[in-house]
Amino acid sequence: MRRGLAPLFFNLSAFVAALAVAPYTAPLWRWLFPDLQRPLWDSRSWFALLAEHLALALGAALLAGLIGIGAGVLATRGAGQRLRPLFDALFALAQAVPPIAVIALALPLLGFGAAPTLLALVLYAVLPVLRAAIAGLEAVPPAVLDAARGTGMGRLRILAEVELPLALPVIGAGLRVALVLAIATTAVGAVAGAQCLGTPIVTGLANGNAAWVLQGAIFTAWLALIADRGLRWALAG
Amino acid sequence: MIRFEAVSRRFGQGRPAVDRVTLEVPAGQIGVLLGESGSGKSTLLRMANRLVEPDAGRVLVAGRDIAGQPVEELRRGIGYVIQSVGLFPHWTVARNIATVPRLLGWEASRIAARVDALLRLVNLPPEEFRDRLPAELSGGQAQRIGLARALAADPPLLLMDEPFSALDPGTRRDLQAELRRIHAETGKTILFVTHDVEEALVLADRLAVLDHGRLLAEGVPRDLLADGAGPEIRRLFGESGLALHRLATRAAAALATPGDAASLPALPEGATQKDALLLMLEQGARAVAVAPDALLRWDDLVRAR
Ligand SMILES: Nc1ncnc2c1ncn2[C@@H]1O[C@H](COP(=O)(O)OP(=O)(O)O)[C@@H](O)[C@H]1O
Ligand SMILES: [Mg+2]
Repeated sequence: MRRGLAPLFFNLSAFVAALAVAPYTAPLWRWLFPDLQRPLWDSRSWFALLAEHLALALGAALLAGLIGIGAGVLATRGAGQRLRPLFDALFALAQAVPPIAVIALALPLLGFGAAPTLLALVLYAVLPVLRAAIAGLEAVPPAVLDAARGTGMGRLRILAEVELPLALPVIGAGLRVALVLAIATTAVGAVAGAQCLGTPIVTGLANGNAAWVLQGAIFTAWLALIADRGLRWALAG
Repeated sequence: MIRFEAVSRRFGQGRPAVDRVTLEVPAGQIGVLLGESGSGKSTLLRMANRLVEPDAGRVLVAGRDIAGQPVEELRRGIGYVIQSVGLFPHWTVARNIATVPRLLGWEASRIAARVDALLRLVNLPPEEFRDRLPAELSGGQAQRIGLARALAADPPLLLMDEPFSALDPGTRRDLQAELRRIHAETGKTILFVTHDVEEALVLADRLAVLDHGRLLAEGVPRDLLADGAGPEIRRLFGESGLALHRLATRAAAALATPGDAASLPALPEGATQKDALLLMLEQGARAVAVAPDALLRWDDLVRAR
């Protein structure tokens, strides 16, 4: 096991344990928030929220992967090389726009729910995949490509059987980065009505229930922290 | 077998990399392209499998202009070996060798049998090497696999671009000898590029000298190095070494005289006059045996020029 993975695993275990114990902590929240009628979040199981949260993040990372790898392939081929600075600037800009702003802008077009959330997350996470794809594809030795062409392999076959497999370790690191970025950011989706760990925060704000806000905030922040550790681990790998 | 007709190619501005070269390698022979770095050897060679397209002129393989042929099909029918080998690092040796047969859709059993036969041909035990990855090979072993991969689908023509130049001298000589043996066994037509004069003379049936993209001289090595060689040729082969290189183009047997050679140091079959000279120097002998009843004398050797 690589260094740094053990504390990460421990942190993750503690997080899951806390989610499991949360439904039994009603006395604590009643004591902390004596004025509230239902201080304990119980509208939806924490594990369901976590699952939805992770599904959103995973979906976003997958889409970011497809787009980033696709753009990376384009940007490393013949005429497409001229697109590289454009892609890089475009995707860097996309990452610079805060996801909450993307959601706000996309709501009128895409409506509520998962769609605007996915859009925001994909825009936020696609840059590292693009850069990894370009770096990985560029690192394929020229002699290997020369030999591949010389043996009569077609362009698509060379891409699928030689270039992408050889670039995979580097692209994989980019995908991991995209995934942890998405996990750490998915909570904003609650604003658009997507179910996730941010849901209790938004619901709590809407209903004047500070206890729900606090509970959602704790788990959202905790998961983001784990994702951040994971990011460092991914980058080190 | 392969013929270049007035081919030229220019990259960007400036002088052409290849300038109106006409050249032919007859079927079954080893044609060596010799020239200094940057003289256009690789550019010319890569026109033969259309990795480079000529600006002018045409290339014929087996009598047919290759310009109109489907490029991938053409390449599958021509073996290609390069200096940096370019084995696919994520594939085993067997899978590497099988590249073209797989493209051609051979059956698995036929491919497996072919892979083993080729490993034996390049002197690597199949059981030991089949499942290795390229990272687990020495430079010489990797280039043997590169050669096996090029021979896999039994193409009649091989293009070899400085295949041995990155190897240490001992390995290089071994592989030169093996290429000669494999050539004798398979009868392939080979276009071989090198900047190494000695290598060129060891391998060439025909020798073509390139200089700044132009064909300087072409012919049988013995004729190229004969007394009338022009100044560029003399410079390329080295003024001082020219006499020795010339001996390398001539068979020792050509100067042999009958006589009892049983007690003399013996030359291997097919040895050149350079081999004979080196053996005399090595053994301090004034004559060497070309056959049990034929010998080559020092006096004949130095008088022969
Ligand atoms: N793809 C290319 N683009 C630009 N210049 C090239 C290219 N290939 C070769 N050249 C130039 O053409 C000349 C001949 O190169 P090359 O055929 O590789 O020579 P050699 O193989 O004899 O060393 C050199 O000046 C080289 O810089
Ligand atoms: Mg070259």
